Amino acid sequence: MKERLLKKDDLIDLCTKASEQWETYVPLEDIGRDAHFIKLNGKNKGLLLDRLNLDYESLLVPPKVIAFPQLESLFKFQDGKIIETFKPSVKRLLFGLRACDVKGILFMDDFYKRNFEDIYYLNRSMDKLLVIVGCKSPHENCFCTSTKTGPFLPLPGSPERAKFAEFDLQLVDVGNEYVVEIGSKKGEEFISSYSKFFDDASKDDIEHKKQAKRHAEEAVSLKLDFEKAVKKFCEDKVSRRMYERIAERCIYCGGCLYVCPTCSCFNVFDERKSDLGRRCRNWDACVFDGYTREASGNNPRFEKWNRTSRRYEHKLKYDYLVTGMSGCVGCGRCLSSCPVNIGISQVIEEVTKA
Amino acid sequence: MKNEYIPYPEIIESIQKESFDTKTFKVAFEDKAQALSFNYKPGQFMQVSLLGVGEAPISIASSPSWKGFLEFTIRAIGKLTRAICQLNPGDRIYIRGPYGNSFPLEEVSAFGGSLPAPAGKRQSGSSGGKGRDLYFIAGGIGLPPLRSLINSVFDRREDFGRIKILYGAKTPDELCFKEEFKTWNKMANTEVLLTVDKLEKDWKGNVGVVTTLWDKTDMTTTCGVAYVCGPPIMIRFVIEKLLQSGFKDEDIYVTLERYMKCGIGKCGHCNIAEKLVCIDGPVFSYSQLKKFPEKERAIA
Repeated sequence: MKERLLKKDDLIDLCTKASEQWETYVPLEDIGRDAHFIKLNGKNKGLLLDRLNLDYESLLVPPKVIAFPQLESLFKFQDGKIIETFKPSVKRLLFGLRACDVKGILFMDDFYKRNFEDIYYLNRSMDKLLVIVGCKSPHENCFCTSTKTGPFLPLPGSPERAKFAEFDLQLVDVGNEYVVEIGSKKGEEFISSYSKFFDDASKDDIEHKKQAKRHAEEAVSLKLDFEKAVKKFCEDKVSRRMYERIAERCIYCGGCLYVCPTCSCFNVFDERKSDLGRRCRNWDACVFDGYTREASGNNPRFEKWNRTSRRYEHKLKYDYLVTGMSGCVGCGRCLSSCPVNIGISQVIEEVTKA
Repeated sequence: MKNEYIPYPEIIESIQKESFDTKTFKVAFEDKAQALSFNYKPGQFMQVSLLGVGEAPISIASSPSWKGFLEFTIRAIGKLTRAICQLNPGDRIYIRGPYGNSFPLEEVSAFGGSLPAPAGKRQSGSSGGKGRDLYFIAGGIGLPPLRSLINSVFDRREDFGRIKILYGAKTPDELCFKEEFKTWNKMANTEVLLTVDKLEKDWKGNVGVVTTLWDKTDMTTTCGVAYVCGPPIMIRFVIEKLLQSGFKDEDIYVTLERYMKCGIGKCGHCNIAEKLVCIDGPVFSYSQLKKFPEKERAIA
């Protein structure tokens, strides 16, 4: 499909217009280098859009939070009667995602569809439009070129196209405009609905797009032998000693897993006040010692190194065995968020150096 | 799309005290149509909950052929199970399910399944055909899921060969389904062997862990199928013994326990390597179990 052109000056107008039809999420800048993916609400849309920032390094919390909130009610109950709180979803526009995060979203979608369907997650995730804005200045902890998850996703039909790579639109920064690549029929329909914002891209624009993509790829400085690492994990060639060394330093806060775009574990608990209550679920993490502790007191992963091993092997071995794709998208958030400076990138370096 | 997280209320019809901390709850379906249409297989579990307290996976202890109700044998050990054990007949309990796989049974019977019994054990085509020998080995609160299977087997006793039930508990009081042993013992070609860890005054049976029952009966086999449930350490030693007695890896079935939150393969808690106990289990053959990395502690 032919590329289009979108002026940067038109971004706010496009987002405002689109938010009338779509529940629209955009990246807004926060304090320092932080950015958040925020829903554009009716009244203060304008105020919010003043903080629109498509040049952000990395969203502090991955966009999984839209379909998989940190805490949610499964249902309420009163006097022994269950009151369903489930609300059918609206169509959502996720505008300004990074390629790695799209990979994360599609990975999670696949997981929540597998076996039993999770109605809460899928309801919020099914009807969505994914608009990527490729990374220009990646965070120093990113390594998406090694995991082949960014800074841009390959177009449909391209030989590099891997699993979990379906996007609707992909924007490439070429200065005052974005060259818009169309990844799906839905993306094409979006452009026709808001056609006044989109021009045809010229030959020069396409040339600039190619250059911009090349520069973006070169800007990702952290290079890892990711395939070798996955191979070593799958062949069980990772030593217990390495996990024990991580265990000596890790404080088991679970932060790296909360911010991981493909971590999907949750806990379920009940809350009640007199006759009124609710059953909730919230994010959980496999590094906590209560994660596998049974009522009898038996805990198959009572040792720290064992939980560390699970944490990395799930991403680099078991996800690969089940889906054919590793659960790591190379976003670098685990390292950025870690209070004691451990990231999956360092684990990969350690495993591949030997 | 079905909302799998919504449980439905059922009424506790009766409660049987099994031991000082364990009770069997007979739960009747309120909805008559559901009572008749509800199906499950031995080895499956339900997510059982009390609103405001919590939810936990509990094995179904009744046989699928008993229609209209379910039985759960529950030991008061955690927050939810202690609360359930405080309940009375007429009280409400919430359930959803059934979940998980089940014990393979068709495969080992004389007339069903795709896996034939070993040559010599099967008399082809005749109604006198004899299925394989079944061995049930349980420890403590591990008997309830096997009881579901044992009673299904007795519904069609003629499809199987010799049956042995080996069951151990810490004390005589802690043996579940004490009354049922007599019925089981009366079944043709069936032997029930009991043991307790601690000698108590009026106990005349065996004292020692469940593997000590190997000295009390002939366990050697060429075509036996074993079903095992109990504490992790028991499972480990029982498997060792079974292998020594000639059981094949693929003929040893173990049902595992893991901390579980959703029962439908989403919360992640019950993972063992790339498997989830709630979806891929809880029943695993030893040939599956031994493939798991040692550190996953699939068995102790």
